[in-house]
Order: sequence, then C-alpha cells, then structure tokens
Amino acid sequence: MIRLGVDVGGTFTDLILINEETNESWVHKVPSTPADPSEAVINGVTEICEMAKIHPSKIDQFFHGTTVATNIVLEHNGANVGMITTEGFRDILHIARHKRPYNFSLYQDLPWQKYPLVKRRNRLAVPERIGAGGEVLIPLDEKKTREQVRKLKAENVDSIAVCFVFSFKNPAHEARVKEIIEEEFPEAYLSISNEILPQYREYERFSTVALNAFIGPKTSRYIKRLEEVLEDMEVKSSVLLMQSNGGIATAEVAAEKPINLLLSGPVAGLIGGIKAAKNAGFENVITLDIGGTSADIGVAPNGEMRMRHLLDTRIGQYNAMVPMVDIDAIGAGGGSIAHVDEGGIFRVGPQSAGADPGPACYNRGGTLPTSTDAQVMLGRIHPNSSLAGSMEVNKELSEKAFEEHISSKLNMTPLEAAAGALKIMTHNMVNAIEMNSVRKGYDPRDFTLVAAGGAGPLFACDIAEELNIPNVVVPPFPGITAAMGLLASDIAYEKVHTLWGSLTHPEVSHIKSVIGKLESESIQSLKADGLSDEQTVLRRVVDCRYEGQGYELRVDAPDGEINEAWVNEVIERFHEAHEREYASRFPDQEVIAINVRVIGIGLVKSEKEQLFVKDANEEFSLDSYPKYPVYFWNKDQLVEVQTPFIYREDVPVGTTLAGPAVIQQKDSTTILPPDSTATFDAFGNIVIDMRTRIQKKFNAYAAAAK
Amino acid sequence: MTNKTLTAEIDPVTLGVIAGSFNAIAKEMALVLYRMAYSSIIRESEDLGAGLFDPEGNELCESDSTPMHIGSLPGYIQGVRHFLGDDINDGDIILHNNPYYGASHTPDLAIILPIFHEGELVGFAANTGHVLDAGGMSPGLMVDVVDVYAEGKHYNAVKLYNKGVKNEDMWRHIFENVRTPKENKGDVEAMIASAKLGKKRYLELIERYGRKTIQAAEKRWMDYSEEMLRKEIEKIPDGVYKAPTGWLDDDGRNYGERLRIETSVKVEGSSLTVDLTGSSDQVETAYNVPYSGSTLPATYTIVRAILLDEANSDVFIPQNSGIFKPIKVEAPYGSIWNPKPPASCTARINQVQRLADQINLALSEVLPDKTTAGNSAHVHFNSYAGVNDESGNYWVYIEVNEGSYGGRYGKDGLDSVDNLVANTRNNPIEELEMRLPMRCTRYELRDEGAAAGKWRGGKGIVRTWEFLSDTLFTGEGDRHTDPPRGVYGGQDGLTGAMTLNPNTEREQSLHAKLTNFKIKKGDILEIRTPNAAGYGNPLEREINQVLEDVLDDYITVEQAKEVYGVVIKDDLTVDFEETKELRN
Repeated sequence: MIRLGVDVGGTFTDLILINEETNESWVHKVPSTPADPSEAVINGVTEICEMAKIHPSKIDQFFHGTTVATNIVLEHNGANVGMITTEGFRDILHIARHKRPYNFSLYQDLPWQKYPLVKRRNRLAVPERIGAGGEVLIPLDEKKTREQVRKLKAENVDSIAVCFVFSFKNPAHEARVKEIIEEEFPEAYLSISNEILPQYREYERFSTVALNAFIGPKTSRYIKRLEEVLEDMEVKSSVLLMQSNGGIATAEVAAEKPINLLLSGPVAGLIGGIKAAKNAGFENVITLDIGGTSADIGVAPNGEMRMRHLLDTRIGQYNAMVPMVDIDAIGAGGGSIAHVDEGGIFRVGPQSAGADPGPACYNRGGTLPTSTDAQVMLGRIHPNSSLAGSMEVNKELSEKAFEEHISSKLNMTPLEAAAGALKIMTHNMVNAIEMNSVRKGYDPRDFTLVAAGGAGPLFACDIAEELNIPNVVVPPFPGITAAMGLLASDIAYEKVHTLWGSLTHPEVSHIKSVIGKLESESIQSLKADGLSDEQTVLRRVVDCRYEGQGYELRVDAPDGEINEAWVNEVIERFHEAHEREYASRFPDQEVIAINVRVIGIGLVKSEKEQLFVKDANEEFSLDSYPKYPVYFWNKDQLVEVQTPFIYREDVPVGTTLAGPAVIQQKDSTTILPPDSTATFDAFGNIVIDMRTRIQKKFNAYAAAAK
Repeated sequence: MTNKTLTAEIDPVTLGVIAGSFNAIAKEMALVLYRMAYSSIIRESEDLGAGLFDPEGNELCESDSTPMHIGSLPGYIQGVRHFLGDDINDGDIILHNNPYYGASHTPDLAIILPIFHEGELVGFAANTGHVLDAGGMSPGLMVDVVDVYAEGKHYNAVKLYNKGVKNEDMWRHIFENVRTPKENKGDVEAMIASAKLGKKRYLELIERYGRKTIQAAEKRWMDYSEEMLRKEIEKIPDGVYKAPTGWLDDDGRNYGERLRIETSVKVEGSSLTVDLTGSSDQVETAYNVPYSGSTLPATYTIVRAILLDEANSDVFIPQNSGIFKPIKVEAPYGSIWNPKPPASCTARINQVQRLADQINLALSEVLPDKTTAGNSAHVHFNSYAGVNDESGNYWVYIEVNEGSYGGRYGKDGLDSVDNLVANTRNNPIEELEMRLPMRCTRYELRDEGAAAGKWRGGKGIVRTWEFLSDTLFTGEGDRHTDPPRGVYGGQDGLTGAMTLNPNTEREQSLHAKLTNFKIKKGDILEIRTPNAAGYGNPLEREINQVLEDVLDDYITVEQAKEVYGVVIKDDLTVDFEETKELRN
C-alpha cells in the first residue's frame, strides 16, 4: 500500500509519502499557492513521486488537510448567502448573543454585524412555527416560501441556509422548503439546519448553518477541482479530508458539510504529535506546534483528543457549534515582536514580523527585535552554522534591534533583553498550556511534551522545565507533523440529536430508539464510503448536565445494551467528568441528557508504523562538531556554556547524548539544555529526559529557601 | 522615565509573567462560575464578576464578564471589613450583599474568601452573581418597594463557613427563605468553587515567586493602569464640561413625574471629577442607586471606555484599582445617586446606564472622536414569574433586553447589543420555551428607521412574548419619554415602549416600570427598546451608504429622500442628479 498525506498550510504545503511494501518514506515541502491551492498540491505530488520513483497512479490512499474553509472565514470572501427563516426571527444572526467582545470600548465593531454571513436583505422570512414540543403551531406558507426563494434567485445568491426555530424537534417544514428550493432554484448550494445540526440554541445553530452555506460553494468547488487535477495525474484514490473532530471524511461528505473542515490543519498536527509520542512509548501527550506567528497547543490524555466546550467552538468571531478538537492558539511564534509599551511594560507579541520583513537578523528590512533574534542573541541559532536552504543570520542586527528598542528603555543589556523576551514568551505558552491542562484537571507532570513546528523544539525544554514535564519528544520532521498526522487518522462521522431527557428518571426505550437510529445512520454512511463491517466501529457520547445548569459536558458512554445499568454508568461518568472540570460533584442532583451523539469510525489507518530512519554517520561523535557559546538559565542566572552544534541526520539510532547540545536539521533546531539527555529512537524521534534538570531546579529552590 | 523608580523592586520580565497569570486567574474564575451555575441570569447572561483583591480591597484583576459587577467588589470588601473588622480567618467563606455597605444591589450576592499565607492575610478571592430571587417582596425584580428591608434578605458579611466549618443552620436559613432555593444554592456553590480556585491559584503564584515579588507586581500594575489613564485625562484641556439635562421617566410609583439628571465633568490636570449636583433627590421607591456599589463603578467603566478604548489599544491595560484613582464622583448625600438608608435602591441599572451616557455626552464637545451620539442608555430589565401548578415551586426568568449605540465619528452605531456598563448575554429562545410557559413570537430589529446622521444611530429590538399561563411581571425599564440625543446635527433616537396585546381591542400601553403586574394566560407583550441617536449631518452621509440602508430595510425610500436627500429609483438604484439637486 502506498499512502500519501498532503497538508496545505498558509505558507507551505507539506507532503509525506509512505511505501509500506518497501518500508520507505519520503517527506517534502513546496510553497503554497493561495490563489489556487491545488497548484501546490500538483507540484508537491509530482515532485514527491519523482523522489520516490513511483507514478502517481500507484498512490492507494490520498489524505488531505486544508485551510481552505478556514481562510474563507478569516478573509471573509465566501459565498453570497440567502436565508429562509421563521417569520419574526429575521435578525437572529444580527442580534447574536447581544454581548460585546470588549467591555471597555465605545468604538469596537461587532464582527457579526460588520461582516454579516448573510446580509439583511437576503434574510427572508416565511410564516411557519414549530413549538417547543415539536407540534406545528403555524403551518408552513408554501406560496410565500416559493416567492421568497424566487427573490433569492433574482438576487443571485450562491447558497441558501434554511433555518427555522425548533426544527430539531420537527424537521418537516425545513424538509418541505428544501423540496421547494430544489424545484425553483436547483443550482443553489443548500444548508438545511436540521441536517447540518439538529441541536438546540437558535443563534449558534443558525450561525453554524449560515457559515456552512458561506464556505460551502467555494470549498466544494475546491474539493472537486482537486479531484479533477488528481484524476488528470492518474491518481486513482479518492481524496480523504481531515475534519475538525479529528476524523477523516470522504470528499463527498466533506463537500456537503464543509463546516466540519474548519480545524482541518491544526488537528492533524495534534494527531501527528500523539502518534510520535505513542511510538516513543508515551500515552499522555501535550503538543506544542510553534510556527512563525502563532503557537497551537493540544492536550491529549491517554492519547485521546479532547473536544472543545460547545461555547468555544468558533472560528474567528463566528460560532460554529460542531465538534472540534480542543486546540488552543496563542500569538507567539518565531516572528513575535518584543517591545516596550507607553507605560514602560516589556511585552512580546502578539504582533509579528511574519516572513516579511521578518526578524532583524535576516537582514531583509526588519528592524524590530523578534523571538528569533532573541534565539540568535543567546547563541541558540548560530551564524556560522546556517543550514542548507535556511536563512543566513546576522547577530549584530539582532543586537542592534534589542539595543534600540528594549535596552535603551529598560536599563538592561541587549543580552538580558533577549533572554527576557524569551522568558516572557515561554511564560505566555506555559500559561496557555496550564489553562488547557492543570485547569482542566490534568497534571502536566504526567504528560509528555511533543515539540512540533519549526520553532517548537527551540522552546520545548524551557517550557518542560517550567511545567515539570519529565519528557520531551521531537518527531523526525517537526515542521511536517500535521502531514504525518494525516496518515494516522481514521474516518469519523459524528451524528447528534437533542434528547433533553432525564437520566435520573430515564425513559430507557426512548433513549434506546434515538441512539439506535443514529447508529444505523452511521453504519449507512460508512457503508456508503465502502467500508466493511470489520472496519466499522461505533462510539457513543452523551452530553449531560445537572438539571437547572446551562451547559453540558461530553461524556463517553459505554457500548452494549442500553438499559438501566447503562444509564447509571453514564450518570457515574458524568459525575466524574464534572468533578474533573469543576472540582465538585452533586450526587443527589438530577442528571439530564441534553444531546446524544454517535461517532461512526471507519478504520482506514495503517497498523504498520512509519519509519524515517536513514543511514546515519557510523563514526558519530560529539567531538567532531564545532562548539559555540550558548546561554542557558541556571537558577534564574544566565550562564554561558560551550555547546556542540550537531546534525540530526548524523546521529545513529539508539544513541544517547548528554546536553548541552544544539541539534540542527533542515526545518528545525532542537535545544538540549545541560543536565538533560537525548535518545534517538528507532522511529526517528528524539526523546529528551528532563528529570535530572528538573530535580536540580528543585534542589536549588530548597537550598535558596534555607 | 518615571517608571524606573517603580520597576526597581521587580524586574520587567517577571512583571510581565505575573500579569499574564493574574489575567488568566480572573478569566478562569469567571469560567467556572458561569459554566457551573444554575440560574440563567448567571450562566446564560453572565451577570457576574470575579477577581483577586489585596488586603485593603484594591482590585488586582477582573474577569471580562459584566463590568458593573467587578468594579463594585472593592466596596463589598470594605463592607465586610465594617462588619467583621479583623475577625477574618483562614477557611472563612463570607457572603455579603448589603447595598449600604458596598453591594452593587441586593440581588448581587458576593462570595469573598480571605487568602492567608504563613498566617497572614494577603488578599481576597471574590466574585458576585445576580441571583434570581433575594427573598424580597416579590419574585425576581421589583421597583415599587417601601424600603431597603423589603427588597430582599441582607447577609451582612455572614460566614457560610467559619474557619473551614460549614454553618449548616445558616445554609438552611438562607435557602429556605428565597423563592428559588435550588437555583440560588447551585449558584452559591458555583461561586464558592470559583473563589476557591482563585485562592488556590494566588497561593501558587506566591509560592512560585515569593510574596514580596507578587506585591511589587501588584503595585506596579496598579500604577501602570493609573498612569495610562492619567496620561489620557491630561490630554483633555482643563475645564468643566456639561451634559444637557437628562430626564428619567418616573420612580415607578409617581407616574408622570420625571426625574432630573444634571451631569458635569471637571478636568483638572490628570484628575477627572463627575459632579451630579442638581440631580433629583432620592425617591420613595427602589429607583435609587447605591453609591459605592453602582454609581462609582458605572463612572469608572465609562471613563475608561472613552479614554482607554480596548478596541483601539494594541496593548492590554488591566482593569484594576489603578483605573479608579484618577476619577472622583460628587453625588450629594440624599440624592438619587447617593441615597440615605433605609431607602430602597435595588432598581438601579437604568440610572447608571444614563449616568454613563451623560458623561459621554458631556465630553462630546471636547472628545468628538472618542464619544458617541446619545445611546439607548437603558435596559428593559424584565422579570417573569409564576408558580408551577404541580410542584408548587416558583419559576422565575429575568430578561436583559438589548440596547443600541449612538452614531460614532467615522462609524455607525451598533445595533441590538448590550449597552455601556452592562454586557450580558441573551437566553436562547429554544431553551426558554422548553423550560417556561412563554412563547416568543418575534425577536428582530425595530421596524422604524434608524436615527439619521452622517453616521446613523444603532437600532433597538422588538420582542414579543405570548403567555401560556398567568404570569407575574415586573418591568424595570426607562426611556419611554426622553429619547437618545443626537450630536453634531444628528437626529435624536426613538424612545422605547411596552404594549400589552398590541393591535387588539385590549391594547394597553404600559409604563416602563411596573411591579407585580398580572399578565393573563393568552396575553401578548411587545417590548421595543430605544433606537440610539445619529452623529453629524445626515446630508453628509455617503450616498452609497444610504442606498445600502434602504436595501437592508434600515430606512425607507421616503426617509432616504426626506432626511438624507438621496433619491432612490424604483429599480433600487440612486438617481444621482436629483440627489445632487436635493442635497444642495
């Protein structure tokens, strides 16, 4: 089997190709082509197939991660959307939750009003109303519906969102409107609320459905175009796309519900990180993917991705109430700018010098001190040791930038300023990791940190030290972790239904029939994708809360027959989840199941491991590499240490190195501090043991306390 | 730079690191509170606040929930100090809500946890939340109230836990004397969980960096926020800036008797004083404003919003007690802004919204590009209640209806959004209808045209409820008589209204303030919230923008012609020639 993973990011399109018969693998990076992302895909596929000396037609599985849908939202260049909604509720999208983004601001904008997903003129209402119990209060006015659909057609909308209140209780009216649109305006891309999301909370549902309509036409065109160009290249495999829930969807499913593609890129990165850690023998994983402008943080206890709280599932300022893996992003990257504000406070980011003009040391017009300049100042990136294909760096320019913009204002040397900037950035990331771990009931000391992205391995050990994380794993190619993750995923479709029923006083037969229906729908979807029974796995999730609370928690529900014992097990698991999330449980309170979900999983990932170990330098010895001074922290003091700069590809499997060392490779640099060791494992990972360094830190604290 | 002396005690790097932690702690405290809470006013509306305070009650950090809450907590802590003096011990959990001793108003309960380190009081973790019912004369809200005792139970720094020991009798007493015991208890449990978390995190910080460093950081960050605000005040020429006289509808009992508001803002160097002398005397109902719990925080909030607008600042300036220091408020004792006990003062959100707008209007002449035209500056704050026939339990729903912002220099006003010193969230209709005997039949922007201006005013909403059972209704609203004021030639906005059974023979126009008004099963209630005012001459509005307004039904073709001088043809394009003629 030959498997290909292609991850299209903003700057680069990353590829990884694996030939399972020969146990060989190749990785490649080409510049992305934002105007038509499929161009970069063609280039990349052509080149990586040449590298592997195979014809594209030999590719058996084609996995794809894409930011196409996300960029449409962020750049606000989606479809011209029309909406058919319940009379009296034309402005649900405009009123939103009536809360301002900022407390203290008279001049702020409300993104949903300034950049509406559906312009007010295209939000048309029709008489109809379903009641809270699913009963028809006002029958659908079909004549008016037809008029309104014709109006939207005359307005040349590309897509139509159909959003009626309480449609999740009774979809009949929306279904009828769908038929009418298909008669009157068959070209329109359709997004029907009970099909996309049969779940209560009208604003969040309408917003999700409108967002789906907004990104739908362009995204489905992109997928179609991609399939065409691949067909031209004689690629026989269909495209499998990564979704925000961490599962893969077929091209057909993805084109229908592009709303599920919004986190396609970062999720694959998390999966790649989990995979690398698993290969290295670790289950509990925190991934840190640091790029040029931002850092993505993911926490996966037992190697399982966690889902975001439904209130936090938004993209930009738009709510999208669909399952999303919990990944946090903060504005900290290689290009983050250090500055002193008007009030004399030292800050780093979120402004970034980006790739252009870039850090001062690149000498491409950037004059502001960035995080990369700070690394250069501390000697962690060395001018004499620039790597094949990467930028040449000029340390004097970094020093000048820190001198002019920080030192002169804060009475510190440029070196102190650079070290300080890195410390501030490290702490911003530490705070973000704590917010996603400690504060959700997970202790980082039980976790392993996976360092991904070009800049992740530069920061990873400092962060691990601060959080007392014992081990750091640096995957074989930190810069393309997401592409690796694509090859480690299964198909996953999540189906949801609002139940709103008591578990304490359960109507077992009803719960059983709702879950049964979702399960048979899931099996059908997977069958339609050509999966066999052996490849199909179903998982159940129940969103629960205590009666009277407003927000539910996701609870994994057991398999097997749904009976009283099953219900009691769900209740117990909910108490546990509540205690972990909020540090309290209320065993006497009634538990309500708000939504039930079934996740249909189609097993497509290879059980075979990916190997990236190439022939190393048999004569490898630390002494054969140059040493340069690098600054490390020791008990809050900066200490200069002569440090060898080695090449990762030279190090044979099984080698264990003692820090300090700087381990360089094409797309990344790993900093190995003193009192740590690095082992190069059979899967190509660097596994860093931080325990001695952390112990020394505690010893130093204890000594200072005396 | 003046900062050098201040930064001497703490290095700039550690300072930045600690600020990030303060901020994260306040956020996390609020998150736990509203996600765990039971009553919809806390969990959906986020009518809550949370933060950390030093032993003197200075605010170190606050959550970005609703600003009226948190700015009031220093006052609550002073109130606690008044009642307990030094009888504050490790393991105490204190409940407080007396509006004459710091509370924002009676239903805003505060949970306050003292934080001890090595036997010494080092600070407080505290939060406030609006409970559905405080055990007063009527369920939910009330306006026509005889005195402060009738508006609810007061817990004067009552210890729910004393040195870690739960006071079981007190818990029973508290929750057996309100109409919504389950919700209140769930809310208080959530507040305790949130405050405990704040305490834990603060102690972790002290362990990590040492008490002295943390104290130095606290002082430095308060000085920083104060300095940033003073810099902006200094830019305003010294002088006294006066807002036009504003009028509140009435006190909720003596209908037709309007209440005067006089507001002037005095700027002297880097200090700013708001003078409310000349405003109405205190009234005989609950329509008075607790001075330290509401008049002050509302003033702090609007001054900061004008001078340190978060959306226009590329650095994060923490909201802490430093912001409060340059600002003074002169409100005569015995006036509506500073009532004498035992006057009731639970219904105060409309007045503080107007206070904020008055300050905004006073500064309009000197800060034309930081202030707005007149805002809706009100809340139709409504409560609906009834008794469930089967269980005999009360149901209570408290609704915050949205407002709108006046036109702004270079920008239109915001539509249908929580206004000025309030920033809550609405409740999903689909949730309300599954829980309550009410049905929403309309929730949209108002039909009437937006107030004209070079930059138009924001639109309010129209919301219509149908009642499926007899309901006790209390309206705590205003702005039915005095519309939002236009500036620089912009039009005034529109007043709000409430109508029972509109367009029927039983149609009845309602006052904005009603207490325990009986709504019958089958009745319809329509609420219209004010449209805010316009900014600048409508004839200067971009022609294309006027067309857009017509296409989106913000104004009619007729209004475009009459008010904006823009002629729009039947095919919905602009007749430029006629427009030019008309505009000249």
